[in-house]
Amino acid sequence: MLELQNLSKYFGGVRAVDSLSLKIEPGQIFGLIGPNGSGKSTTVNLITGLLGVTNGSIRLSGEEITRLPTHVRLSSGIARTFQNIRLFGQLTVWQNLWVAENSRAQRERTSFLARWLGGESGARARITKALEFSGLSHKANELAANLAFGEQRRLELARAMAAEPKLLLLDEPAAGMNAEEIGALDERIRQIRDSGITVLLIEHHMELIMAIADRIAVLNFGQKIAEGTPAEVQANPAVREAYLGTAETSTRGTA
Amino acid sequence: MLIVDLVQSIVDGLLFGATYALIGIGFTLVFGVMHKINMAYAAASVGGAYAALRLITLIGGPAWASLLIAAAVGGLFGLLIYWLCFRFIPLSNPLATLMSTVGMFLLAEEIIVHTTDGMPQNYPVVVRGILDLGEFMIRGDLVFVFACALLAMVILLYLLYRTKLGMATRAVSQQPIAAQLVGIRLSHVNALTFVVTGMLGGFAGALIGSAVGLLSPLLVVPLTIKGLIVTVIGGLGSIPGAIIAGLLVGMAENVFQYFRGVTERDIYVMLLLFVFLVFRPGGIFSSTVKRD
Repeated sequence: MLELQNLSKYFGGVRAVDSLSLKIEPGQIFGLIGPNGSGKSTTVNLITGLLGVTNGSIRLSGEEITRLPTHVRLSSGIARTFQNIRLFGQLTVWQNLWVAENSRAQRERTSFLARWLGGESGARARITKALEFSGLSHKANELAANLAFGEQRRLELARAMAAEPKLLLLDEPAAGMNAEEIGALDERIRQIRDSGITVLLIEHHMELIMAIADRIAVLNFGQKIAEGTPAEVQANPAVREAYLGTAETSTRGTA
Repeated sequence: MLIVDLVQSIVDGLLFGATYALIGIGFTLVFGVMHKINMAYAAASVGGAYAALRLITLIGGPAWASLLIAAAVGGLFGLLIYWLCFRFIPLSNPLATLMSTVGMFLLAEEIIVHTTDGMPQNYPVVVRGILDLGEFMIRGDLVFVFACALLAMVILLYLLYRTKLGMATRAVSQQPIAAQLVGIRLSHVNALTFVVTGMLGGFAGALIGSAVGLLSPLLVVPLTIKGLIVTVIGGLGSIPGAIIAGLLVGMAENVFQYFRGVTERDIYVMLLLFVFLVFRPGGIFSSTVKRD
């Protein structure tokens, strides 16, 4: 599904991502973990095209997308949520999803005018369904900025799903959630995977990621230090060291 | 009859202020979407009115057609400014586009002065006549200007708040990164914003021409300044703010003119700007909307 080859991103002298190679198989929930500042979010930004790569290549279903602009990558099947929520705050819940319908139209190559002026075919039904899936039906006409935190996260997920992606990138979806909300999120991510969408999950909440990830890669200082099943990763001494911290790493922060 | 004359000034000013509101909306809309100031905006608006004047004298036609032509040419100028001053210039550098649009402002003014030999030209008047209400009278041309400006605003607000295109524009202004990720092309929305604001500007320029009865190169600088004042008073990025502030500035200008004469009035309008900058720097509707 997604293949990163020797992917690197340097900010000046800082190697935020350093020769990272990953292969994510279709239908997997692939976990990406690592201490703060280990390059997880940078990796997501490289995959979505918000940052340009320094070196290496990104392939989606075998197709080279390394240099494609963001909106084109999206129409080729990538969607994401953000660690710090980025909703359209002054649009209603419904309108947030309505705007997101655009990506679908783009993929179907609807003409510019039809896309923006009309082209409502099925949109209403899809949005209604998305609202039900995320439990936000009763909030359809609220401004997104006025939603509770957990609801905003759900709306962001629904907005990403509106693009009907093949690959969904979730950047710390459980951040700030309580145990009950995390339980619901766990269920929702499994449903998404079961509907045939490949998921790349970045998360600090170990319980969640160990429970649902099929495969996990661990980053530290931009490099991959381990990869395998949850059990293999948990048993890996290098991972323990990265997380528990040695004299060298503890000053730079741990998870 | 001081009070009668004063009320008369206020009403005339409010009606004419609708054109300032349009110019203010143009500045504020570009700011809202791109967080950039287009300094060449008012110059291009006057340019649109001039081009319409040229065309209408060349090919003939009813006076009202000049308004529509000005809007069309204004939209074209808007696109041109976007391409020349924004499209290929690094947007991350806050000064780059400011300088490029100041350059465009000077260029546009120079072209206007050059092609008109710096002389004012008569502009076709669309509506004549005065409505006599006893002690007061209402100028038909000002009512026409007000009505046209109002119509333009209603159309704009409809586009922004009721169509998907407007929704996309607002999405970009609120959250440009997420907007890209739902497949919105920033460059398309930006270009479209320049076309729409350019149309508003050209239309406003022609309305001013038809209300004053002439177009002068001397219009460019004051209109730029008043547009910026309206934008600041209304709050950068706020369309309702720009509308109210436009009417307010038009009114204040006329009242100052009534008390202090036409040569002094702009001094006080400028002072009004500083009053707002000191006491209410966020404008009348201090916007709480933030983006990162």
